[in-house]
Amino acid sequence: MNLRILRTAFGTATRRALREPGSFFVATGFYVAVVAMVGTLWRVAAASHHGTLAGYTAVGLFWYIAASESATMAISLRLVEEIGDDIVSGAIAVEMLRPVSVVAVRIAAEFGRAVPKLISCILAGTAVSLVVVGPPRNVGAALLSAISLVLAILCNIAAQHAFAGIAFWIRDARSTWFLYQKFVFVLGGMLLPIQILPTALEQIARALPFTAMAYAPARLAAGFFEPELLLVQSAWLVVLIGVAAATFQAGERRLQVVGG
Amino acid sequence: MNGLQATFRGACAQAWANRRGFWFEITVMILNDLVWVVFWVLFFHRVGTVRGWNTNRILMLQAILTTGGGIVLGVFANARNIGRLAADGELDAALALPVPTLAYILVRKIQALNLGDTIFGVVLFVAIGHPSPSRVAMFLGGSAIAATVLTGFLVLIGSSSFFVGRNEGSELGFHAIVMFGSYPIDVFTGAGRAMLYSVVPAAFIAAVPARLVDSFDPGLAAGAAAAAVVFATLGVVAFNLGLRRYTSGNVWKL
Repeated sequence: MNLRILRTAFGTATRRALREPGSFFVATGFYVAVVAMVGTLWRVAAASHHGTLAGYTAVGLFWYIAASESATMAISLRLVEEIGDDIVSGAIAVEMLRPVSVVAVRIAAEFGRAVPKLISCILAGTAVSLVVVGPPRNVGAALLSAISLVLAILCNIAAQHAFAGIAFWIRDARSTWFLYQKFVFVLGGMLLPIQILPTALEQIARALPFTAMAYAPARLAAGFFEPELLLVQSAWLVVLIGVAAATFQAGERRLQVVGG
Repeated sequence: MNGLQATFRGACAQAWANRRGFWFEITVMILNDLVWVVFWVLFFHRVGTVRGWNTNRILMLQAILTTGGGIVLGVFANARNIGRLAADGELDAALALPVPTLAYILVRKIQALNLGDTIFGVVLFVAIGHPSPSRVAMFLGGSAIAATVLTGFLVLIGSSSFFVGRNEGSELGFHAIVMFGSYPIDVFTGAGRAMLYSVVPAAFIAAVPARLVDSFDPGLAAGAAAAAVVFATLGVVAFNLGLRRYTSGNVWKL
């Protein structure tokens, strides 16, 4: 694997993201609005239950939402659709000419694009949370949450490539991002802690990789010092990258492009 | 048949041309909306009541929001694209036609994906809304108010591109109004709540119409209707004022 190419893909994407201040502003502004809205909802809900809900305090729930929204809003959830379009249009064929894995370069570039947004979300989320509910319940866990956010984003990017790779076979990934997004929203614990789900659904959620994409960093930010969540995320990251690579490897053998 | 009717028929035919894709997109959107229903059911099952909101009230809100929002984003799909069209100089072809420009742009494009919202909203109302003649009338009236306010707001913020050029404000405004509209408004107090009745009129695209269906109040209904008139007027005025400043590189691809 040529690491220099991956570093270049990462760095180029990061610089490109930093040169789009308009979309940067919109993304951060929208993030703040979402955190304020959803965080307030959960805070009010906890307050109506004597301050705690499913083991989470009102303060913890606000920090939970700030982290879970950071994990999902730092990357494009329409990535599934964008990758699918590149596969269906044949644009991906050009990338196959490089002496490095297509999926590896794409994951490196997407991660590079996500990093500036992630940093701005973390800063904005921390500021909003401090103003609205005060400091996190457990600072150590909150710091682990920052590492967990990086793993969450990598898991999400890898999973979206694995999910979108189906376009090699069905020639269409449009609109499927809606379904993927909802898996992350509910089973991934982005909208609500998985402890809120009915027991059976919570067990299903725990067995799926989506919790690595939102729940893990959010749980840590909420004040639960559970470093084992980082191990779970790391394991899922290896699995998801493997699945994405296998999907693309099999799909690239089927790809037929006319013209170009 | 006048020009607008012909344009609308053309937009329908275009959306219907790929029937498999048409139904696929509608199905995906219905599943998407269903997940939100699941979320709210789980939330209120666990939490109970939040400042007067319970499962029934939030589902009625979702029914109005998806029905009204689906009409705007599905049938008048270009309402969301006004800013981009103006900034990219893509209104030239519309200006040459013997029909009102704004009306032509609004009926020119149908987005099948969002028609799924409307179908979902109507089905949800039938399922949870205890339909009676008066409630059906209020649901239809409330959805019309929601659609009018949302269209006016989107045209208004999109028209800002005529004055300040390409900007991300309209996209942010779109996401903000839809997101704020989908949550129980009574969670907010003070200035935040006032904002949702004025600057970003999210209250009028869901919460207020939903309240009218559940308990009709003539004063509230008059206020909602007035909001619809105000935002529709602001949208039209802003667009027409902006059109006077419109310049382009002679692009013909609407």
